[in-house]
Amino acid sequence: MFIQGLANFIDDFLGGLMLISYALIVGSLIWAAWILRVWDRSATGTGAGEPVVTVCVRLLKGGAMTLAAMQGTKLLIKGVLLAATLGDFPLEAYFGTVQFIAGLLRFFLSCGFIYLAGRLSVSPDDRSAWNTAAILTVPLVISGAWLVHGVGRFEHREQLMVMTVIHQLAAAVWVGGVAQLLFLWHSRRTEQAAHQFWPIAITRFGRLGATSVLLLVSTGLPLAVEYIGSLDGLFGTGYGSLVATKAALMAGALYFAYRNHKAGKEWKERGASADLTGKVPYFIEAETFVLVAVLFVAATLSSQPPSVDIKDTTATVSEVAYMFSPRLPKISSPTHEQLLAGEPGRVAVVDKVPSVAATEWSDYNHNISGMFLTGMCLVAMLSYTGRFRWTRYWPVGFIGLSIFLFFRSDAETWPLGPIGFWESTFGNGEVFQHRIATLLAFMLGVLELRARTRPDAHRLRYMFPVLSAFGGILLLTHSHAEFELKSEYLIQSTHTAMGLLAVVVASGRWLELRLAAAPVSLQSASSRFDTGQVAGFLSILAMFVIGNFLMFYREPLY
Amino acid sequence: MFPRAIKQSGRLMPAVALCLLALTPMAWSHAVVTESSLTSEPVKPNHATKVVLFFNSGVELALSRVFLVSKGDVFHPVHIAKGKKAGEMLVDIPPLEPGDYALKYKVFAADGHFTENVIRFRVDNP
Repeated sequence: MFIQGLANFIDDFLGGLMLISYALIVGSLIWAAWILRVWDRSATGTGAGEPVVTVCVRLLKGGAMTLAAMQGTKLLIKGVLLAATLGDFPLEAYFGTVQFIAGLLRFFLSCGFIYLAGRLSVSPDDRSAWNTAAILTVPLVISGAWLVHGVGRFEHREQLMVMTVIHQLAAAVWVGGVAQLLFLWHSRRTEQAAHQFWPIAITRFGRLGATSVLLLVSTGLPLAVEYIGSLDGLFGTGYGSLVATKAALMAGALYFAYRNHKAGKEWKERGASADLTGKVPYFIEAETFVLVAVLFVAATLSSQPPSVDIKDTTATVSEVAYMFSPRLPKISSPTHEQLLAGEPGRVAVVDKVPSVAATEWSDYNHNISGMFLTGMCLVAMLSYTGRFRWTRYWPVGFIGLSIFLFFRSDAETWPLGPIGFWESTFGNGEVFQHRIATLLAFMLGVLELRARTRPDAHRLRYMFPVLSAFGGILLLTHSHAEFELKSEYLIQSTHTAMGLLAVVVASGRWLELRLAAAPVSLQSASSRFDTGQVAGFLSILAMFVIGNFLMFYREPLY
Repeated sequence: MFPRAIKQSGRLMPAVALCLLALTPMAWSHAVVTESSLTSEPVKPNHATKVVLFFNSGVELALSRVFLVSKGDVFHPVHIAKGKKAGEMLVDIPPLEPGDYALKYKVFAADGHFTENVIRFRVDNP
């Protein structure tokens, strides 16, 4: 079970990485054509200089290498998953699946891109290599059609496959373009040409980005209608809630895109814009956090049953709203003996008996964790007044939280239960998850405390948004859907909302740090601290809301 | 600043990677049963029965397994076959005494995702 769970997770996690690397390949080629205009060889051509093209090729190569590695690993992992789940390995049957064939084709195509990117690294003007890469992109994009939800459907199969492929293509243009912008910005220190090309890239990308968003929406809406079908389906199933989350994240990314576009327009009209170099690069970094989360959500969506297929186990909007409604936190817990007594019935397949003690135990754990987090956030908010020096010690709360989790997460294991520490940690997937979550909370506390109290450790501050982003992505991609779809989903709904907020925590804090660290000469001085501090405060506010969700959390009885 | 921060972060990446591997979903669902003959034709005691399951997605039969689970969570593999329509699976249930049972299926959907799920049913006295 543990191996199977691990293989399952890696399989779906690789799905997210594959979408990112796919976006890097396809997005880079569209970038080369539209922004760099590598095919424009006229004397008065508007194409980018060779150093800028080289920057693009490096990212193209990175994307191709990642896709090849991820696709190859995914094929192997899927085999491991099959063997672990079935108890044997029907090799021939596996090799005959559409998934294996389409996956293998993608692997070879990405190897082709590695070769072509290698040629272009040496000679960025190699027209034949660019042409071949453009031709190879067609089967790469089309092969995706056999790796999506639509392929398993019985109705509108072809239309759904085509629609999803266009949707993926539009996403790749956006994500790949943003990655190219990011890479171009960080190349400007070594490449003067990159520095000069920066405003042109921003203004040209505005129209390309808008086109891709238009395509995303026009293909995403019919797909959502087909797979979700109702309001309850949107808010009462894992699939629907992830689509809603994806839309919310996209709105956040669009805000950053709008700010970038505005700065580009200002530069075009006036020939200068302080924001173009003062804020835009950092907005793009924050946008990247959000877009990466969007791609992981998209990968998770592909492993959720569409809402229209689980009408019998769909939660109603009011049931979901009830999960989020405030109540007095539970501050008393059932005894350890009461909890253990109900466990055999709770996990039984036949003669399953819901355990009240297990539900109350879980409520207590979540509610107390929420109180820790809410308290920390209140102190953190106070720190923004700049009046109380002691408030910078707020991350100590994470250390306290980790100690609480260590004792409470798994009642059947050491130190409360009879199963030993190592035996439980490495013998049970769920316990392993909890141990790591505990370690993560402890690490966050120690690192952030050090970062906020030791001036010489300021680089450590970036660990907080990075870990928050990972935590958010994990919450968003961590499905609970198992045997009891409805009750499992009600739990998942709170975790999905927290995952979305964790991405806000990450991008807000990142923006705050980056804007504060940017050279004064690059900032529009009047609003320098405002934007960063507002982003930082929003980040803490998002964490505060997570704390509230946890504090009011109630687990359905199942 | 940015590359240095990344370099600094890189030292802690093994721990982060461990966190990623740790948060393991126990099951990912896609191919779900939308209908089953168990609701319209309950299993009769001591009679072999052919149960029909209708999935929402294409299923790779050679890569799928179904188990009959009896009281005490004892698992017995059962024979499965392809139905007449797409997404239809036939499950051979042996003669059963009255009582509570479940069918646990592990199926490989056409889109490459594994699904594990349970369908509980009761065999009543005639």
